[in-house]
Amino acid sequence: MLRILNTYGNLLLAAMGQTLLLALCGLFFACIIGLIVGLMSVVKNKPCNILARLFVDLIRGVPMIVLAYFIYFGMPYLLNNIMGIGGVTLTALQAGTICLALNCGAYMAEIIRAGIESVDRGQMEAARSLGMPYWRAMQRVVLPQAIRTMIPSIINQFIITLKDTSILSVIGFPELVNTAKNVVANTFMSFQTWAIVAVMYLVVITLLSRVARSMERRLKSGH
Amino acid sequence: MAINKQNVKIHVEHLKKNFGKLEVLKDISTDIYEGEVVVIIGPSGSGKSTFLRCMNRLEEITGGTVIVDGCDITDKKTDINKVRENVGMVFQHFNLFGNMNVLRNLTLAPVDLKKADKQTAQARAMKLLARVGLEDKAQAYPAQLSGGQKQRVAIARALAMNPDIMLFDEPTSALDPEMVGEVLEVMKELAREGMTMVIVTHEMGFAREVADRVLFMDGGYIVEEGTPEEVFSNPQNARTKDFLNKVL
Repeated sequence: MLRILNTYGNLLLAAMGQTLLLALCGLFFACIIGLIVGLMSVVKNKPCNILARLFVDLIRGVPMIVLAYFIYFGMPYLLNNIMGIGGVTLTALQAGTICLALNCGAYMAEIIRAGIESVDRGQMEAARSLGMPYWRAMQRVVLPQAIRTMIPSIINQFIITLKDTSILSVIGFPELVNTAKNVVANTFMSFQTWAIVAVMYLVVITLLSRVARSMERRLKSGH
Repeated sequence: MAINKQNVKIHVEHLKKNFGKLEVLKDISTDIYEGEVVVIIGPSGSGKSTFLRCMNRLEEITGGTVIVDGCDITDKKTDINKVRENVGMVFQHFNLFGNMNVLRNLTLAPVDLKKADKQTAQARAMKLLARVGLEDKAQAYPAQLSGGQKQRVAIARALAMNPDIMLFDEPTSALDPEMVGEVLEVMKELAREGMTMVIVTHEMGFAREVADRVLFMDGGYIVEEGTPEEVFSNPQNARTKDFLNKVL
């Protein structure tokens, strides 16, 4: 175990850095997608609602590993070989980010939709009755109250997404799992290596949950 | 204050409202004048609240015409938000903004809609809170108030936009009995000052005392209307008689 740590410790730490980078990129765009799709599913507009529903159902209905292969290999093939637009390539980070953003974005959209729907309809009506436009009322009155109920689910989704980065080892992104596979291939010390990797994930995710819980507490006590 | 018959604040003509296949308002026509206090009574499901909510288009209007302060709100081109700035509304369940303290509840819309700068809005809010007897609750959050206090704040919030017309949708129905009085007091005060008011209520004593005109609704129509004296003491329609027998 010590030999692995001595020889490959820095490599594994760097890989954890890549994992976090990928997770952050994915989450950033997932938040944007989630907010847009979530809002699209609550506005009074049938085409918007249907589009949002389709997106969520589509993404939720496809395993992320398939999505990853599709984006990394399938999309460039479609564009280059089938549609004849040459020279389209995606780096593993780009493909991974898109994959996480779509996948996590769909779940975020559902969290945001449920959060907004949990706010009493009277809040929107009261704001509108004072003459506030729909989006103003949404931004000032409904969303701030919705966010409070959404926070625990959002943080939970963050943790899931962080763990899901490991799936992207299949498209060759040098995150923690992919790197650990190489270490095992070199050393044959699979027990030691995977134990170290497991502990690394555990530490990061435990820290994240801690921060989440204190944030949740602060949101609940303060106004 | 006298009713100004020269100035129609709300003109309603052949108003219809359907929820899907259900016809809630079948054919409603009436005029509400400046300074008039109109109380709408009737059995539940008669369309009273829906009628009230059509007056600021919180409900989409299915047919007919509603003209508020000269603006046809059934016309899609009318800026409904501008009209609503002039029409305050008080709800059965208060609907105070839970994420803001009382003062912010009163200043949010005036400041956001550029009706007043922050200082002016706050000064005005404090005056309104004093008027409803709650200046000491300015920093409190809605969850910390009693029902009666919430409803008084809700009235002050609507008044903060300086409206010409106030709509009340069963403002005392969700209150404990001992808190009904304090809310009705504030409303009486408003009526005395000459505010144009449309009130849906089950408080018959209050209706009798403050109404200039009482509308009795049933089955999506205005079945009978008149002064409180006429409607309560000498109802003409059989359904009005039947309803009043049950509630008085």
